[in-house]
Amino acid sequence: MDLKAIAASLSEIEKKALKAIGSEESFSFEEIAGKSGLQIDSVRRAMGWLAEKKLVEISEEKKFEKRLTEKGKIYLEKGMPEEVFLDCLEKIGGTSDFEELQKKTFLPKEEFGFALGFNRKKNFVVILKGEKPRIQLTGLSKELPPESGKELLEKIEEKKLLEREKFLELRERGIVEEIEKTARKARINEQGKKALEAIGSAKERAYNIQGAVPEIFIGKKQPYVRFLQGIRRKLTELGFVEMDSPAIVQEFYNFDVLFQPQNHPARQWADTYQLKQPKFGALPPEKIVEKIKAAHENGAGTGSRGWQYKWDIEIAKKLMPAAHATAHSARQLVKGVKVPGKYFSISRCYRPDIVDAKHLIEFNQMDGIIIDEQMNFRKLLGMLRQFAVEFAGTEKIKFVPSYYPFTEPSCQLNVKHPELGWIELGGSGIFRPELTLPLGIKQPVLAWGLGIDRLAMVKLGIKDIRQLFSDDLNWLRKQPMAAIE
Amino acid sequence: MPSLEISKKDLESLAKTKFASKEKLEEALEFAKCELDAIEGDKLAIGVSDTNRPDLLSAEGIAREIRSHYSKEKGVPKYKITNSSVSLIVDKNIEKIRPCIAAAIVKKVNVTEEFLAQMIQLQEKVCLTFGRKRKEAAIGLYDWSKLKAPMHYKAFRPKELKFIPLDYKAEMDLEEILLEHPKGKEYAHLLKGFEKYPIVIDNEGKVASMPPVINSQATGKVSETTKELLVEVTGHKQETVNTALNVMVSALAERGFDIYNVKIKYPGKSIVTPDFLPKKIDVKIESIKRLSGLSPSEKQIIELFGKARYNARKKKGFFSCEYPAYRQDVLHEVDAIEDLLISIGYNKITPLPVELACVGAESRETKIMDSAREICTGLGLQEALTFTMTSKGKQLQKIFLSEKSLVEIANPVSANYEIFRQRILPELLDFFGKNKNCEYPQKIFEIGKCFETNEGLETKTREPIKLCIAISGKEAEFTLIKSILDAFCKNMGLEYELRESELAFLEKGKQGEILIGNKKGFIGEINRKVLQNFGLEMPTAALEIEL
Repeated sequence: MDLKAIAASLSEIEKKALKAIGSEESFSFEEIAGKSGLQIDSVRRAMGWLAEKKLVEISEEKKFEKRLTEKGKIYLEKGMPEEVFLDCLEKIGGTSDFEELQKKTFLPKEEFGFALGFNRKKNFVVILKGEKPRIQLTGLSKELPPESGKELLEKIEEKKLLEREKFLELRERGIVEEIEKTARKARINEQGKKALEAIGSAKERAYNIQGAVPEIFIGKKQPYVRFLQGIRRKLTELGFVEMDSPAIVQEFYNFDVLFQPQNHPARQWADTYQLKQPKFGALPPEKIVEKIKAAHENGAGTGSRGWQYKWDIEIAKKLMPAAHATAHSARQLVKGVKVPGKYFSISRCYRPDIVDAKHLIEFNQMDGIIIDEQMNFRKLLGMLRQFAVEFAGTEKIKFVPSYYPFTEPSCQLNVKHPELGWIELGGSGIFRPELTLPLGIKQPVLAWGLGIDRLAMVKLGIKDIRQLFSDDLNWLRKQPMAAIE
Repeated sequence: MPSLEISKKDLESLAKTKFASKEKLEEALEFAKCELDAIEGDKLAIGVSDTNRPDLLSAEGIAREIRSHYSKEKGVPKYKITNSSVSLIVDKNIEKIRPCIAAAIVKKVNVTEEFLAQMIQLQEKVCLTFGRKRKEAAIGLYDWSKLKAPMHYKAFRPKELKFIPLDYKAEMDLEEILLEHPKGKEYAHLLKGFEKYPIVIDNEGKVASMPPVINSQATGKVSETTKELLVEVTGHKQETVNTALNVMVSALAERGFDIYNVKIKYPGKSIVTPDFLPKKIDVKIESIKRLSGLSPSEKQIIELFGKARYNARKKKGFFSCEYPAYRQDVLHEVDAIEDLLISIGYNKITPLPVELACVGAESRETKIMDSAREICTGLGLQEALTFTMTSKGKQLQKIFLSEKSLVEIANPVSANYEIFRQRILPELLDFFGKNKNCEYPQKIFEIGKCFETNEGLETKTREPIKLCIAISGKEAEFTLIKSILDAFCKNMGLEYELRESELAFLEKGKQGEILIGNKKGFIGEINRKVLQNFGLEMPTAALEIEL
């Protein structure tokens, strides 16, 4: 682009900033802001663009700046201790014992001691020895007033020059400090000068529509949240009703209703989280609890022999963070369901693990049930096929025999993903009669759970599962909205 | 899911079938509910998905399950058991400690490397899963030639007996084993509180083992020269130890070794183990049709059951089915029906569409959250998502609050995740701390669950949905955050009231308590000390309300 075009493309902010520099000297951004009347942020931005257009050169310079410490700021407000000391002594008649003076000055012991030493050294006060030593003004401070400490501090605050010796003394006392700062300065170059001239001659600004513009960050949803909303919408379109999904549940719902025996290895310490407090929750009416107990112990007349052990109600009352979303389906069955009915939940689940690129201890699971007289294994397969199409966009599927304590038959769904190859998409089955019959449900219940975190990772193009809960604002700002559907 | 290491050659020889490709092998493994996790030359890593099938935890067991689909051999496998006239005498003093035992003798054993690896693997995995880490079943294998019948199972006092435990050189008494031997320490909890400990010992006082802890070095080591084996299982239920013994012994029988029974003499009664008498379950024809959605013929049903290792006989309206004594997982006819479906092959069954019209709906919670989200994004805020599990340091100490109504984890893996959050703000301040190099102003929000104990509720936990909005940058002052609150409430159709407050994490005089009906929240500028605690330099203001 020729110089004229560049000059014509400059925005008002850039022009103002360039004019403010407009000489051989280099200026700090603050100075440019002062000269141009622009906000410092605008100057920063303008300098960025001008440098990109090669009209100015920006240099970095390190410099030391003196500033008051927290203590210094307090002294600036209240006065230096040695001065407070003298003022106070004068006010109470020029003489006082130690204790009284310290009380009246309100100085902490350490500072009082310092002030006394300081003033003695300067011969502003003397100590009269006796049974109770006293401090007395000499009058010298009146004759030879010292340079006010407060004025010194003001000088620093206003960034005026200070004698090196005085500075060192104040630094020793922890009143001032020196910090390193990087100051950026801009200097106009030959191109810039020509552009500046061209600005003068240009009648009106011709827009450079190709030029860089400031970035706007819009308000938007978290990408993973958007993904889950999409899934939720699809499920409601398929006729599923969303269930309540408390994060804290009784073991009763997480395990017992689901016919998982109480000595099952999966119920042990290492595989689930337990709570320190609160410890035990309430159970539904005794009638229901008794039936679940019977199912475990002897099959509760469902045609099953049960697990043949003594079921313990105290274990069932224990509270835990839900380890799988099927706990919510179990809870819904106990609370009551419509027949026919379809229910789902998308909820946080918790399992102890070491957090790394593949594992989270807190993740989302999607789970649901279909209750209807017409349901059977072939319908279960039909449902899985539909899920593969709806959620993974593929018709290449494989049904794999599997095992879950609460379903029989059980079937795992594998799908061929265009990018990942064959992956396990979820598990499913028909709830065992030991689970449904004691709750008064006579119809077959199809149960399914799909692993959505993996699908989300593919959709969002991420390799590290932790990024689903990304704490990188830049990444969140840059995620395009259209990517997830 | 238990994972096994198996030699492909060994599996093929036991299954009497060759698998030409990976796909063929995978297909065959499905009959045993197994998955091929990895294949490396002859070495297979196989995942066994059914944790209630100890009989599938070895090459022998998997091969047996597959073989019936590729050969004429169908139904319950027949193993020959010979009478040995050996007895195992159970002392009355074991009754309250670890009362049950089952045993068998195996002869003409040919110890190969593969066999030994499979036996050790099977023994370990059965004890771990089916045996509930040896609590319900602990298995011992011994060189029978080194022991003298009859055997005895009785309890001894901790100092009464000494023997050399497996892989040790010196004799130890029972107490020393529990305190010092690695296996002793690992399983000591199973014998805690007893005055005497269980011992399997031969007629000449030679110790075989101290179940469920450790074998003796002298007799409990199986090597390549071993020709005869004693297998024993101890536990708390006869059915469980019998099943575990059957699993072990039937795997040995698969190798063609000879099985001999042992008479277990309990005080007052005797039983003979192993007991391979098939177990029985009735399966209604109607149930098969209803559950599967298929209508197989009677002949097909019998054949499919045969492949699944059942002997099915047609009765009026149902099939009387026998299944092998090494299984204990058939609780209900549905278990047998699944086996039948697996015999067909899941992928050979035609799926049917569900075709069930229901009216879908999102929960009330979801709807409220989504409305709030829409307003927040309209306000130009970026949504963040953090974890609900967090640390006390972040939630309390850094913002100068004390512990109250905390929902706390008993077994945290890391101190970073030891409690459930009570408020979102500290998580967002932490978020700001990680994004200091990001362009300001930063305006973010999060909507999600928070937690507090509440005695009145079913789970003793209240899980309110909260919204936190936080802004950071030069303009982050009270006025701006109040404008945001105002706009949010107006658009949400909520009326709010502000009261002066004195929260320790907000700037004095620039904060307030928000009241929306009976729900409370806070608003204000974050004070200097809290900003420092999160490593923040920019002014920051925030609000948090319950939705």
